[in-house]
Amino acid sequence: MEYKKVTPGISEELRKIFGDRNVLTEVEKMEPYASDEAGKQYAHMPDVVVKAENEEQIARLMELANREHIPVTPRGAGSGLAGAAVPLYGGIVLSVEKMNRILEIDEDNMVAVCEPGVVTNDLCKAVADKGLFYAGYPMSVEESYIGSNVATNAGGAKVIKYGSTRSHVLGLGCISPTGEKLVLGGKRRKETSGYSLLQLMIGSEGTLGIITNVIVNLIPPSNKTVDLLVPFANFDDAAKASSSIIRTTKVYPVTMEFMDIFSVRATTEYLNLPPLPAQDKAEAYLLFTLEGVDQDELDELAEKAGTACLEMGALDVFVASTRTESEKVWNIRISMPTALLEKWPHVLTGDVVVPRSETAEFMARTREIIKKYAKVQLEFHGHIGDGNIHSSLIDTGNRTDKEWIEFAEEAYGELCLLGSQLGGTVSGEHGIGLEKKSVLRQSLGEYPISLMRGIKKVFDPNDILNPGKIFDLK
Amino acid sequence: MRIVVLVKQVPSTDKVKMDEKTGTMVRSAMEAELNPLDLYAVEEAVRVKEKIAGTEITVISMGPPNATYAIREAIAMGCDKGVLLSDKVFSGADTWATARTLSSGLEKLGQFDLIFSGERATDGETGQVGPSVAAQLDMPALTYVSKIREIGDGRIVVERAVEEGHEVVESSLPAMVSVVKEINEPRMPNLMGKIRARKTEVTVMTAQDVGLDSSKAGLTGSPTRVVKVFYPSLSRNGTIVDGKDPEKTVEKLLQFLKDKALV
Repeated sequence: MEYKKVTPGISEELRKIFGDRNVLTEVEKMEPYASDEAGKQYAHMPDVVVKAENEEQIARLMELANREHIPVTPRGAGSGLAGAAVPLYGGIVLSVEKMNRILEIDEDNMVAVCEPGVVTNDLCKAVADKGLFYAGYPMSVEESYIGSNVATNAGGAKVIKYGSTRSHVLGLGCISPTGEKLVLGGKRRKETSGYSLLQLMIGSEGTLGIITNVIVNLIPPSNKTVDLLVPFANFDDAAKASSSIIRTTKVYPVTMEFMDIFSVRATTEYLNLPPLPAQDKAEAYLLFTLEGVDQDELDELAEKAGTACLEMGALDVFVASTRTESEKVWNIRISMPTALLEKWPHVLTGDVVVPRSETAEFMARTREIIKKYAKVQLEFHGHIGDGNIHSSLIDTGNRTDKEWIEFAEEAYGELCLLGSQLGGTVSGEHGIGLEKKSVLRQSLGEYPISLMRGIKKVFDPNDILNPGKIFDLK
Repeated sequence: MRIVVLVKQVPSTDKVKMDEKTGTMVRSAMEAELNPLDLYAVEEAVRVKEKIAGTEITVISMGPPNATYAIREAIAMGCDKGVLLSDKVFSGADTWATARTLSSGLEKLGQFDLIFSGERATDGETGQVGPSVAAQLDMPALTYVSKIREIGDGRIVVERAVEEGHEVVESSLPAMVSVVKEINEPRMPNLMGKIRARKTEVTVMTAQDVGLDSSKAGLTGSPTRVVKVFYPSLSRNGTIVDGKDPEKTVEKLLQFLKDKALV
């Protein structure tokens, strides 16, 4: 792909649009914008970084970029795990970090309207102050932005009960790749008015438009929750228990997470915390949250689900019913990706999703597949209730960046193929970005990808907006 | 051995809201939980029970009827019995009146060898109730205990966390022990404990039940009053040093550190 570089003249024009304070050209200031949490091995330096403060500036930027044929990569908090925010062909990185206002909490319609750079947790807190609840809960809730949650259709721990980000978005304001203003959906709750461009925009990883405002659905909060931490002496028992518990008890959890002993050890060490209960005997844990209208209902649900766990071979069932206990356990689960990325330079966080009933099979066969490779550690954690296990590959052989990317693509390709055979797909929630392009192609086949290319061309005839992500144009 | 643990139900939040007019805490619509620092007292009591056969642990609290929840949390961790002192006349009590009420309850329940409390409650932050109960029951108070070295045969040897280090103290029993966080890592209750706690009857006692004159309880029985509550204003006056001339900037920063006697 041939693109033009940002010249001093273009930088000057960008300064006029965004103001001096919002244009970065020094290498050391731009470096944090060159990569995301997929890792430094995917880094590319931009020519310039601009920070938008309003929609108008973004529209003018896209006009300029089309005129000059310079790629634009939109960026949120940079907590993505697939390289979607990496400026693959240099050009302009457009950060929405300054568009971080909650514009309105509309209690009549039970919606919130906010700019894309609002940290999701800030939104959660603001609506909680009004006695309302935003049900989106990506694990990066304390850092990731709502706009980016929409762009990747972020999942997280509560998907099993509440669905992915898509389920919570009622409307979007966007700037198209050619600089047109688009209003998709709104505060209304239903719509059968032509193709849903709203749904197309959600999860498009910044390839079809730049999100400038988001209207999310709010609901009344559930009254009480309790977390069950369930150690299993046997890995397979833990893996199999998840779907059995739901099937036999009909207790439907808000979250149901899986953590293998490797990830628990790595994270408690990273956080310098005492071991979890039964950490010396367990091969894996289930962690799940139950919701109830009152304490009595909650106690009954916990008893039912907990007893089922014991019948399925759990070592014990620990009940975190106070905020202190609950935060202690969840802190470990939430910190898992960071703990791994901090300790090892090369980690590929798997994101295959399969039907819930196939999760145990997927993990068992994944272990078989990875056995044949030397100097790689396999680790499992993730949303077992959704069938979305993050089977991470960790480099223990000091490979170079290039060697690792090649290795990871090959090995992860096998896991994706396995996932497909079991009725799954290559990414449940992290997105395709840069990292999983080739496995997406292998998994979907040519025809669906060609339809996606066609859609991209209609929106972005010059391939200016986030080029080289999800699929290659040719 | 008969052990009692004093516990409190506190708002489940870091941001305690105060009513500036009445000087009392705004408790409405707040989730409540067992005071996190009491977990260490409960854990230590359970550890003593695991060491000394025949030990029985009673959890006692003064609070509204729903404070049975906090008591059950302690039972789930391994305590045996629960007692809640609950009566309208108890409300608005300061630390002295609270200790008076708890002491009356304990006197009614008979002799105890050991009374545990947490270092303080995360809402009131006074740390006075435990030692005050000891004073009213005329028994030694061992505060800020970070380790129990020995216990049994009518005596206890503990380590107290003091500013200069640790102090080793021996005391006769009965005694009151308030513990600090360093003493242990509280266990998470398991399902069996939870089920047992649900089935355990918590005895509720009123002022009349404990034989306490209502003039000595609650707001009326409190010798202290909150006269004013206010939020402290947080302000930081930052200084920005112009960085155009690096040498001068470094000089200015160094001078700043010297002035503050930091270098």
